[in-house]
Amino acid sequence: MVMASEDEVSLLVIVVDVNPIWWGQQANREPQFTLSKCLDAVMVMGNSHLVMTRTNKLAIIASHCQESHFLYPCKLWKSGDGHGDDNASTSGDGKYELLSVANDFIAEEIKNLMSRTEVKGNQTDTLLAGSLAKALCYIHRVAKELEAGQEIKSRILVVKAAEDCALQYMNFMNVIFAAQKQSILIDACVLDSDSGLLQQACDITGGLYLKIPQKIALAQYLLWVFLPDSDQRSQLVLPPPVHVDYRAACFCHRNLIEIGYVCSVCLSIFCNFSPICTT
Amino acid sequence: MAALSEEVLLVVKRVRQRKQDGTLYLMAERIAWGPEGKDRFTVSHLYADIRCQKISPDGKAKIQLQLVLHTGESTNLHFSNESTALKDRDAAKDLLQQLLPKFKKRANKELEEKNRMLQEDPVLFQLYKDLVVCQVISAEEFWANRLSINNVDHSLSNNKQEVGISAAFLADIRPQTDGCNGLRYNLTSDIIESIFRTYPAVKQKYGENVPHNLTEKEFWTRFFQSHYFHRDRINTGLQDIFSECAKLDEKGLKSMVFQGVKNPMVDLLSLEDKSLEEGYGSNSTAPSTSNTNKTVKENSNSAIIKRFNHHSTMVLAALTLCMALCTIIMCFLSKMSCHFYVIEYEDLHRENGKKTVALNLKKSDRYSHGPVPLLPQQYTTSQDIVNSVNCIKHEIASYKPCLTQVMSSSTASSAIAALSPGGVLMQALAQQAINQMVPNDVQEEMKHLYTAAGELLRHFWSCFPVNTPFLEEKVVKMRSNLERFQMTKLRPFQEKVQRQYLSTNLTGHLEDMFQMAYNKFHAWQTRRMMRKT
Repeated sequence: MVMASEDEVSLLVIVVDVNPIWWGQQANREPQFTLSKCLDAVMVMGNSHLVMTRTNKLAIIASHCQESHFLYPCKLWKSGDGHGDDNASTSGDGKYELLSVANDFIAEEIKNLMSRTEVKGNQTDTLLAGSLAKALCYIHRVAKELEAGQEIKSRILVVKAAEDCALQYMNFMNVIFAAQKQSILIDACVLDSDSGLLQQACDITGGLYLKIPQKIALAQYLLWVFLPDSDQRSQLVLPPPVHVDYRAACFCHRNLIEIGYVCSVCLSIFCNFSPICTT
Repeated sequence: MAALSEEVLLVVKRVRQRKQDGTLYLMAERIAWGPEGKDRFTVSHLYADIRCQKISPDGKAKIQLQLVLHTGESTNLHFSNESTALKDRDAAKDLLQQLLPKFKKRANKELEEKNRMLQEDPVLFQLYKDLVVCQVISAEEFWANRLSINNVDHSLSNNKQEVGISAAFLADIRPQTDGCNGLRYNLTSDIIESIFRTYPAVKQKYGENVPHNLTEKEFWTRFFQSHYFHRDRINTGLQDIFSECAKLDEKGLKSMVFQGVKNPMVDLLSLEDKSLEEGYGSNSTAPSTSNTNKTVKENSNSAIIKRFNHHSTMVLAALTLCMALCTIIMCFLSKMSCHFYVIEYEDLHRENGKKTVALNLKKSDRYSHGPVPLLPQQYTTSQDIVNSVNCIKHEIASYKPCLTQVMSSSTASSAIAALSPGGVLMQALAQQAINQMVPNDVQEEMKHLYTAAGELLRHFWSCFPVNTPFLEEKVVKMRSNLERFQMTKLRPFQEKVQRQYLSTNLTGHLEDMFQMAYNKFHAWQTRRMMRKT
């Protein structure tokens, strides 16, 4: 393991997909792995990251279908220790104060978030692109607030549950390229169905994509594969990268095509030649 | 001692070599030196072995001649006869200078070339070792293609590039003041060559006067002093060797103008309309009053213009390419603004912008979002949604993190098993490590095999289509070469690989290539047989 100096800050942002509809259905499908268990595993991962090095930083974003909300750190954090004292659940097990406070905050925030949920039929998709954008902004802000001489290495870990939302494609790609420009890795741990967008994200930014076979072992997978940072990953034997399907979809049939025709004006892709572009 | 049939061209006495007095003999084919009083030659070199000779500089006390051989050795000869040492040494040097070029080994050059090529390119060297040393193909075939390429390169490099003349070379001479009212001009051989090429009259004068009448230094001093060189060539009455040059130049300029100019871009023809005629006030058909009434200033102006034009035309004429555009000419042309199109360069135009098509979007969301591949969407009923949301709300409301019981040890160990090499998630990894499983020396040998096989196959395939009897022979020979290579090199390698228990098929591709070559040969042979019968 590389000894991190005082000057290197490693920031991990975990984006958890808390789509209530999917998780609600999941509770019926698989009662032994519910959102509570998932959040437990994520907390274990966050704690482990904070404990690895004193200068490590953590952020957790819940990606809901109505909003993206920071579970940790929350805005009330800076408002002083008064708040902390009031709710002081100084856990009697002698845990590192930072971890216990963090865990409490996370639990508090997720409860608030879920209680705020309103049922809306037309918003059933996880706002993943928005969450990633928020993560990038947070990383940018933290990078700006560093002391002189400190360097930051950041990565984003996405724990994905629900399916891809096709409408977010453009935003997603923008986020991916912005992350690539900032050298921010995007890792993905997918619980249920493969996500083409996240595969592309991991491929482009240099992160790891993993679809786990056993959801209840989520914590183990997170710790084994996603806890080491990019320098350490080169020394470890980790699952090989998946083959990414980069084919574009044609504008007329929305099939994935390998060879097509492109309009030189608007760059729309068609599978058959036609002299008039329909866009 | 020297063979009786050898012709002695020069004998020099009192020549010391390695602090021993002796005599130097220059024969028809070799140079030899024997110590005083002895009969034998202790030093003898064939002219063919001598690479070059060197002499000690003029001022030195010791008058020496050094012979450098091809092998790098050198022999020093010290001419110690007080009175005639210098003459002796020079005589020897001149004779050697005449004789050495005759004997320069031509064949050696090729060998040197080959050696150089082999040393520079390790891949080539390895190929040579694999193919020629093991007698798979002969050395001539090996060098057949390669040397020809190199000879072409050499011939190209022998054509020295023609150096152009800077139009400002005279101005660049830049005299420096000497401190006491004099000027120093620094002349390099480049400048001298430029002057000769631009002003052939000066070259002629140089040839006539140096070194008989004037030394070079004096010639150039006179050149710079003469008003030929200076701006106002008015006082041409001086007794000057260069006064003729001015007249020659004028004659040359007139003839050039008469000829016209081939390239319209350098449109001297248009100059003729206005300015040249002014300069030629005295010789043109203009009324003679114009000449005598001209003021001195006008005369000098016209003289300058004339000299500029002449200079420019001479510079251009000295070049084989007509690319230089004199700024003077440009000024005149732009003032006249005739033939405007001729002086325009298309690629220097401002970018007018390509013809653009306006973007009319009918379906703008298609443009901004792009199509989304049709994926099976899960359809959830609204009832499902309501149920799920309520369920999750209920669950999270009573959420308490229980981090000590995140998972059981059995699930953890099964996850670890899946992630270990050979596990469910790591299958793709096993296929990627072939270059880690094969040892390095085997890899190296494979590379050499591939290079050698590639070379042989190239020779083979280049014979097709078989048109000439030479190619027929070559194809048959190459076929046998390929077989021999396969026997001597490929099979042992395969066996070695098998002995090391490497299950990977490393030579499959090579075998395929050879088989294809054999098939082609067989097909060609059968066709030839059928044609003969």
